[in-house]
Amino acid sequence: MATAPARTGTPPPGPCAEPIILHVDIDAFFASVEQRREPRLRGRPVIVGTGVIASCSYEARRFGLRAGMTLPEAKRLCPQAVVLEGHAHVYRCFAEKVFAHCRDMAPAVETYLDEAYCDLTGTERLHGDLLEAARRLKRAILESTGLTVTCGLGPNRMLAKLVGKAVKPDGLARVTAAEAEAFLRDLPVEQVLGVGHARAKTLRSMNVRTAGELRVLPAGTLERLFGSPGLLLHERCRGRDTAVVSEREVPFSISRETSFHRDTTQRREIEGMLDYLAGRACRTARELGIRPRTVAVRLRYADGESAERARSLPQPSDADPVVLALALDTLARLFTRRVALHQVGLTLSNFVRAGAEQGALFEEREAGRRAALYRAFDSVRDSFGHGVIISGRALHLKGRLAEDEHGFVLRTPSLTK
Amino acid sequence: MRQEPIDEPVAVRADFRGGAVTPIAFRLRGREHRVVRVNARWVDRVPRHPHFYFSVTAESGDVYQLQLQSADLVWWLDSVTLEG
Repeated sequence: MATAPARTGTPPPGPCAEPIILHVDIDAFFASVEQRREPRLRGRPVIVGTGVIASCSYEARRFGLRAGMTLPEAKRLCPQAVVLEGHAHVYRCFAEKVFAHCRDMAPAVETYLDEAYCDLTGTERLHGDLLEAARRLKRAILESTGLTVTCGLGPNRMLAKLVGKAVKPDGLARVTAAEAEAFLRDLPVEQVLGVGHARAKTLRSMNVRTAGELRVLPAGTLERLFGSPGLLLHERCRGRDTAVVSEREVPFSISRETSFHRDTTQRREIEGMLDYLAGRACRTARELGIRPRTVAVRLRYADGESAERARSLPQPSDADPVVLALALDTLARLFTRRVALHQVGLTLSNFVRAGAEQGALFEEREAGRRAALYRAFDSVRDSFGHGVIISGRALHLKGRLAEDEHGFVLRTPSLTK
Repeated sequence: MRQEPIDEPVAVRADFRGGAVTPIAFRLRGREHRVVRVNARWVDRVPRHPHFYFSVTAESGDVYQLQLQSADLVWWLDSVTLEG
């Protein structure tokens, strides 16, 4: 466990207290959960994923394995690696436990799949030394889940995440606003928030390789290169990030996707899977009390080509048939190649709160009846599992896919983001 | 390493002390398997009544997944993980 120099003494909190953000990142999340569940995997290189690596253990990373690498490439580098398809609902349970510890500590927590930002601004009087409080949090998470997390403390989200990244795994570090410029100076430019592959390529072509070198470029130059995001880069390479920690009650998107057990060209199978995925995604949206405006369908062909298209509903809706009708129409327009499909997925996004949208007056009675019907469905599914009610095209999957209390056992289930 | 589904209700001896439940032994097809270690435990709170899951190592060295459904306090043996 490594620690960066911490400030001595505790400043009195007040309205002008320096913001303090704690970034909590679960180390090699999926692979670590699998190693907790199966002790014989501990100390061995473990890969979770199908097609590509979704997560791999630190033992696997020693062989050069990384998330996003294809499985054939991974097996070539590390033939002894144990490959697992993964258990999405188990990971969700572990993540919730970790985030519950974060919520015990911080008044505002923003969570993602395997990481959380906790706003600790003004909590020094409650927690005392925040580096020590973060150490207690790490201990509590380890005791209750068996998972290690890396914690970074900083004056903003970007610095908290970056300082944690420097001490992974099982690390703890802090950087203050005064230390930010020195801390960032030699970091690769790709680590600056907002510098993706394309921008990094542009910057490298200009011989800009580190955050320190990026600082040399005037704001106007960065704006001309990248538009308004260029101005953000000008701030961020100086360690300034104004994004706040917000409890995301509404997710950015709800995605449900899976690869087929065998690549397929059968329309009935593809439409059946899309029907099932739409049902799962709509149920999650109803549980959260939100309705999507946008429905996207994503396909991955057996030859690795991908196709994706997003379309808008006339009115936001969380009703399975409404979402499915648009998804099927999109599928018909998208699935044009004479190549088998490896994967199909559906993403709902652009949400409004249920009841906040304006509907057509005469449709409201029908919408109310439909909402009552789906509430009844959801209630039955809550008690007996999603698979207890299967409708329409998804019936085609019955007998073809294994089922558990969560419904059909998908090959590569994804999670709400 | 592969997981074989079992998916059967199972009789479990468990310790409920200290506000936490810990399986001690389970009976599968007439034979008692003593739990030598609880490897991991997690709770699924999505269903109305939470499901409590346990990964346990039995005396034989095999790793089983047990589940306690809190709605009716029924234990299920979900699966066993086999080497190879």
